[in-house]
Amino acid sequence: MSATSSAINPKGPRTETATANPIAWVCDYLCSSVGQKVLVAITGTLLVTFVLFHMIGNLKMFAGPESINKYAYFLKHDLGAMIWIARGGLLGCFLLHLTLALWLKSRATAARPIGYAYGGNAQATPASKTMMQTGLVVGVFVLFHLAHYTFGTVHGVPSPDGKGETNYLDLQYKMPDGKMVHNVYAMVVAGFSTPWISLVYLLCQIVLFVHLSHGIQSAFQTLGLVNRRFVKVARALGVGIAGAIVAGNFAIVIAIWGGWVK
Amino acid sequence: MKFTLHIWRQPGPEARGQMMTYRIDGITGDMSFLEMIDVLNERLIKDGIEPVAFDHDCREGICGSCSMMINGLAHGPERGATTCQLHMRSFRDGDEIYIEPWRAKAFPVLRDLVVDRSAFDRIVQSGGYVNVNTGGAPDGNSLPIPKADADKAMDAAQCIGCGACAAACPNASAMLFVAAKVGHLGSMPQGQAEQSARVRTMIATHDREGFGHCTNIGECEAACPKEISTEFIAGLNRDYIASAVKSAVKGEARGGF
Repeated sequence: MSATSSAINPKGPRTETATANPIAWVCDYLCSSVGQKVLVAITGTLLVTFVLFHMIGNLKMFAGPESINKYAYFLKHDLGAMIWIARGGLLGCFLLHLTLALWLKSRATAARPIGYAYGGNAQATPASKTMMQTGLVVGVFVLFHLAHYTFGTVHGVPSPDGKGETNYLDLQYKMPDGKMVHNVYAMVVAGFSTPWISLVYLLCQIVLFVHLSHGIQSAFQTLGLVNRRFVKVARALGVGIAGAIVAGNFAIVIAIWGGWVK
Repeated sequence: MKFTLHIWRQPGPEARGQMMTYRIDGITGDMSFLEMIDVLNERLIKDGIEPVAFDHDCREGICGSCSMMINGLAHGPERGATTCQLHMRSFRDGDEIYIEPWRAKAFPVLRDLVVDRSAFDRIVQSGGYVNVNTGGAPDGNSLPIPKADADKAMDAAQCIGCGACAAACPNASAMLFVAAKVGHLGSMPQGQAEQSARVRTMIATHDREGFGHCTNIGECEAACPKEISTEFIAGLNRDYIASAVKSAVKGEARGGF
């Protein structure tokens, strides 16, 4: 035993204070209503960024089969582990956005156990009051979209001889250099040549527009990026970005439906 | 003028309440909404019926006591007016008017249209003040404050704590109230010193009292009798994020980086 063992307050490692606890920081800031909606805003912004670039990438449909098939091959094979990091990040954002928003909504529902007999609005937009409903429709649509194009389980391409159908994922395209790649172009054309699928996509795009037209400007407000001067700019940006995403995606469906892209 | 009133009647905090219908006539357009209820109560007393309980104090639009949901709108249809400053000329003769108390878990109904708003007091107690050492009064010009900052602080300081923001919010969120208090103190150098801790503690109390979260719908701004802007909520969010970053980076949330 050292000489200090009989000290009343012996020297040693630093004593812990309440502020030295990282878990307390998470509980303090990320579990509050403002902290959670900031997380919803950040994950929402990341998801919108993805959807915007997804739409821009899809516009390669207009540049012909070689362009989009090459792009799809690049994303799937040339990025290596990056594609899995991106997919994991997207899934994380999606799940966090969904669970936090639903959790906040359940708290808000509990905050008013008895509603008003006479409902009234002074200025609320329908989009702002239906974020949960539109969000859930978009969420289900994302699952449908994955089942349709990523996993190819919804619909197949009818074979030319009329017997059976080819799975989307088995469609092949021969690049000019002779390499066989997945024929994304034919897959998209086959999908949107089917009226009910096109209709589902168009309707869900409208719902997405409604969700984003409030969601984007709301994210600006939640992240504290607006003031009296730029509130209108944030609103216009929200409708503009949402409109651009929907217009780009609409263009592809309508062009195939109308026979301009074959 | 004649009106058909549908009023929430509830004898006590635990009692079951319901909407009751009363017909009233002999009202003039120059009467305030509260005077109209006074007339109704006189008649109810004469008929041996318990009068309608409602909060009121100054009747000049500055105390924030009168609180009622009139046809689904907090303080009724007039912009920037409390219920006592609402006049019956804002309604058409023969209108049906629905009068309800503020509805929020954090605002329990005590009786009829009277709700307990002490949740707001507890939010203010948890950070809606500045700590100053008492002593000799400092010289008024020793702390220069730009006019724009003083104006902004006054815009937020107009909040009378009536609760219309939380009552009108579809999420029953009192974010505009908290934002007004935080924005009022944070716009001034005296309040800046404790701003980081203030946003955290006031939001924690706001959540603990059972108010919902803000989804930027903006009904609060429209309902506010003092027309406080939701821009203060953006400022609150900004201060909250800054407080979180400071607390993570510095290990504590105090003023200044």
